[in-house]
Order: sequence, then C-alpha cells, then structure tokens
Amino acid sequence: MLIEILQQTINGLAIGGVYVLIALGLTTVFGILGIAHFAHGSISMFGGYLTYFLMTGYGLPLIAAIPIALAAGVLLGALVEMLAYRPVRHANHINAFIVALGLTMMVEGINLQFFGHEQIVIPTTLSRVFDIKGVTVPELRLYVILSAILLVAAMMIFVEKTKTGQAIRAVAENRDAAILMGVNVTTIPLIVFGISTALGVAAGIMVGALFAIAPGIGEGLVVKGFAVLILGGLGSFPGAILGGTVLGITESIAAGFISSAYKDVIAFAVMIIVLLVRPQGLLGRAP
Amino acid sequence: MLGIRDLRVSYGAIEVIHGVSLDVAAGECVALIGANGAGKSSTLKAICGIVPVRAGSIQFEGRDITNQSGHAIVRAGITMCPEGRQVFPQMSVLQNLRMGAYTRTDKEQDDDLDRMMDMFPILRERQTQAAGKLSGGEQEMLAIARALMARPRICLFDEPSLGLAPKIVAGVFETLAKIKAMGMTILLVEQNSMMALNLADRAYLFEAGRIVMDGPAKELKSHPEVVRAYLGH
Ligand SMILES: Nc1ncnc2c1ncn2[C@@H]1O[C@H](COP(=O)(O)OP(=O)(O)OP(=O)(O)O)[C@@H](O)[C@H]1O
Ligand SMILES: [Mg+2]
Repeated sequence: MLIEILQQTINGLAIGGVYVLIALGLTTVFGILGIAHFAHGSISMFGGYLTYFLMTGYGLPLIAAIPIALAAGVLLGALVEMLAYRPVRHANHINAFIVALGLTMMVEGINLQFFGHEQIVIPTTLSRVFDIKGVTVPELRLYVILSAILLVAAMMIFVEKTKTGQAIRAVAENRDAAILMGVNVTTIPLIVFGISTALGVAAGIMVGALFAIAPGIGEGLVVKGFAVLILGGLGSFPGAILGGTVLGITESIAAGFISSAYKDVIAFAVMIIVLLVRPQGLLGRAP
Repeated sequence: MLGIRDLRVSYGAIEVIHGVSLDVAAGECVALIGANGAGKSSTLKAICGIVPVRAGSIQFEGRDITNQSGHAIVRAGITMCPEGRQVFPQMSVLQNLRMGAYTRTDKEQDDDLDRMMDMFPILRERQTQAAGKLSGGEQEMLAIARALMARPRICLFDEPSLGLAPKIVAGVFETLAKIKAMGMTILLVEQNSMMALNLADRAYLFEAGRIVMDGPAKELKSHPEVVRAYLGH
C-alpha cells in the first residue's frame, strides 16, 4: 500500500511538474496583462512537435533539439505578444479574450497542418529503471522531475533576484507605479511572453517524452493550468507550484487506486472541495 | 528647469486641463493648491507621461519631454511620489526601495539605501516586511524614500498627507522640509493648503482645470480669496 502510494507520488510529481511549468507561464502573463492566455497549451505542444521534428527530420539528438525549441519558444512568445495581444492592450477585456480563443484555434490548425493528426512520442534514450526499495523510478521521470525543479527554481531566482524580474513583479502589482520607477512597460510583456512560452515549450517536450502529443492535448493542458492557478491561488507563484504538484499527485493516486478513466473527475472534485474550504485557493490571500 | 506651456489633458472626450502654464526653477519648492478635481494630479501625471498630453508642451532642462514615454521621463530626472502612495504591496520594503533605483546603474545605490533608512528608521526596522503591511504613514515614508532612491533632479509629490492622522501629517511636512533643505527641486500638490504654502517658495492656485492665481507662497497665504476658500478662516 505504502509502496503503491509512493509509486503514484513519483508518477504524480512528473505530471505535476508539467502542470507547474504551464501554470507559471499562465500566472505570469495573467499578472502582467490580465489576459487568460488560452493558446498557451497549444503553443507548448507546438514546442513539443518542433522538438520531435528536429530529431526525426534533421537527425538532431534530443539534447540539441531542446535548446533550439526553447529559443523558438522565446521568439514565438514575443511574436504572440506583439502581434496578437499588444493591439488589444488598451481595448475592452473581451477583445483580448477573443484574441486568445482565435489564437488557440490558429495554433491548433498550424500544429495539425505541419505535424499531422497522428500522435507522436519524443524518443529518448533514458530507458533505465531504478528500483528504490520497491518503488520503480523510470530514469525519464526522474529527469523530468529534476528539470521541472530546476526550471522553477531558475524562474524564482530570476523574479526575486534580478532587476528585470523585480520589474515584472512591480508591473504586476502596480503598473502605474512601475512606470514611475522607470520601468518600460512595453518591453516587460515581451519578456514575460518570451519566458512563459519557453517554460511552456519545456512542458510540451516533457509531455511528448512522457506520454504523447496529439491534437487536443494542448487545450486539455491549458485547462489544467488554469485549474492549478485557481487551486493554488490566483497570482501566487508558490500557489502555482503547490497547486500543480497537488493536482499531479491527486491525479496519479486516483488513477492508480481507482481508475485512470476517473482521474480528471477526481482531480477536479478535489479542486472543488479545496475551493469550498478555501475560496482564495491554497496559498491565495483572503480577499 | 521645468516649464509647462498651455497644457491640455483629456480623459476620453472630456478635457480636464484647459491650458495650464507653470514653471519650476532649479532648487525651488512650488506648490499647486486647489479644490478636489481641479486637475492637480492630472497635471503631474501628464508631466510623468502617465496620461497623454493633448496639446501644449512640457520642457525639462531645455529638452522637450512632451508625450515621451514614462520610463524615458524618469531617466531624464523626474520622479513622482504618487497620490495614495502606490507602494508595491507584496514586495518587501527593501524591494520597493530598490525599485526606486531601477533606472540607476551607479555603485552608490546601497549607500543611498542606507541614507534612506537613516532618514526613516522605521523602514530599516521593517525592511523585510511586505510593504502592504505597513501603516498609511509608514507607506508614505516608503513612497517618499522610494522616489528619492531614483536620485531625481526634480521630485513631484501628489498629496503626501492624504488620509493621514494630523500628527503624521506634521511628520510628512517635516520630511518634505528636510528634502527641500537638501536642495531638491520640489513640485508639491496638496489639499492641506496652509502647510503647503508654509513650505513652498511659490504657489499656483488651480480651479476647474485652470490656474487662477500664482505668486510667492507668502502672498497667496494672505490673499483674501485664498484665505476665504482654502485656508478656512
Ligand atoms: N482616469 C480618469 N478618467 C476620467 N476622468 C478622470 C480620471 N482621472 C481624473 N479624472 C477627472 O479629471 C478631473 C481632474 O482630476 P484630478 O485628479 O487631476 O484632480 P485633483 O486636482 O488632483 O483632485 P484631487 O484633489 O481629488 O486629487 C476630475 O474631474 C476627475 O474626475
Ligand atoms: Mg489628485
């Protein structure tokens, strides 16, 4: 029993790491621009597809394909900000909402057009399986968990310790005051979209390596990402981290002990119960 | 140093500043007084590039800064301590102060940080606390210190005494007097006209988006109309 719980926790940490990376991107974008960036999941999947394509089409090893895909993510994020969201920056919120939906459909279409409707799996050589006191830990999962921790830590350090990171926080907390500090509020969203999209691409690669990428996966992922934000507490970084981890582990344990057919239902039921007890989310501030 | 000519500002279709001209010389302390909604804050916001200038011009140290972006104006040497303090609530006191020095690249930022904390010991005590947890008076101190951290050439203050208890207000004005004594050029907006006129060298009286009177602060203080309408005798 304990072994089984530990086993599912390890599995849950891997998928939880994916959720955290998606949620961090969403929460940073939401904090700066107040946009629910629905296309985030589909763009993340584009990153996963791109990695697969670089490997199978150009024969690049995974280790070389990843940085290219991440760089493409930064570029793509910046483009999305400039071309899709900036024009509606000062318009009614519904406009950005509709842009987000349209963008999702567009990126899904692009994914379908370029990469087809067959599901793909990013091949890795990480096939060893460790046995730690009866708990089997596939090497790949371990790498996914470690990479997620590394990326999240890097993001936290960036936001807390660098000038640009502090400016991002300042814009999220009080845009006008940030302008008075001399922050360029045109470039900050560009940087935020670049970083967030790169984190999303990392998540997309993880999904592609752990499971598979196929049309529709990205949309499901973005819904989970928003669920994590609400679960953890809107606008809270630690909340997104805790929320993603909790959601991942809950899903895994539900899949392991009940049925994988019900894992989403159970995960959302847990989320609803948490929100009934703590409407502001796990780490959100009470209104 | 700062020269504004025929400034017009509007929100949507509604014009709220109808051609305002004013000057601030280097080292001077100038007060803008007037009733609620007269357009004092809008004037300061136009200077800082937070609201667009519809017509007119703003010159700073011989440069035209009309409708430049806010961050460029800060870099030019203009900083504002805004109405309602506007601290970054979830960032620590220290992080707020460092944000004040955002545009700076020199090595003396830590020295200035130290100086600010000497000037406002409460900020040193509370440096790791979230700024939102401070009292109103403490937040005002933080907002003032944060503005000074930019090492501005001119500092604009928008109603620093707003919503504070009388004793705290006196402290704020003492602080402003100190800053003035340090040689800082100041443009001060205040509802508390008496205290503002006591501090300032010169003043402008705003009414419904226009300047209706200006002159040495002493003269305005004894002008019968100012006394009747704003000094409440
Ligand atoms: N963001 C805004 N949108 C629309 N109208 C505004 C906005 N800000 C201010 N106004 C209007 O502009 C006019 C001038 O306002 P402003 O804040 O500049 O006055 P003020 O002299 O600073 O007043 P107070 O003493 O209340 O701070 C007022 O009629 C106000 O209602
Ligand atoms: Mg005002």
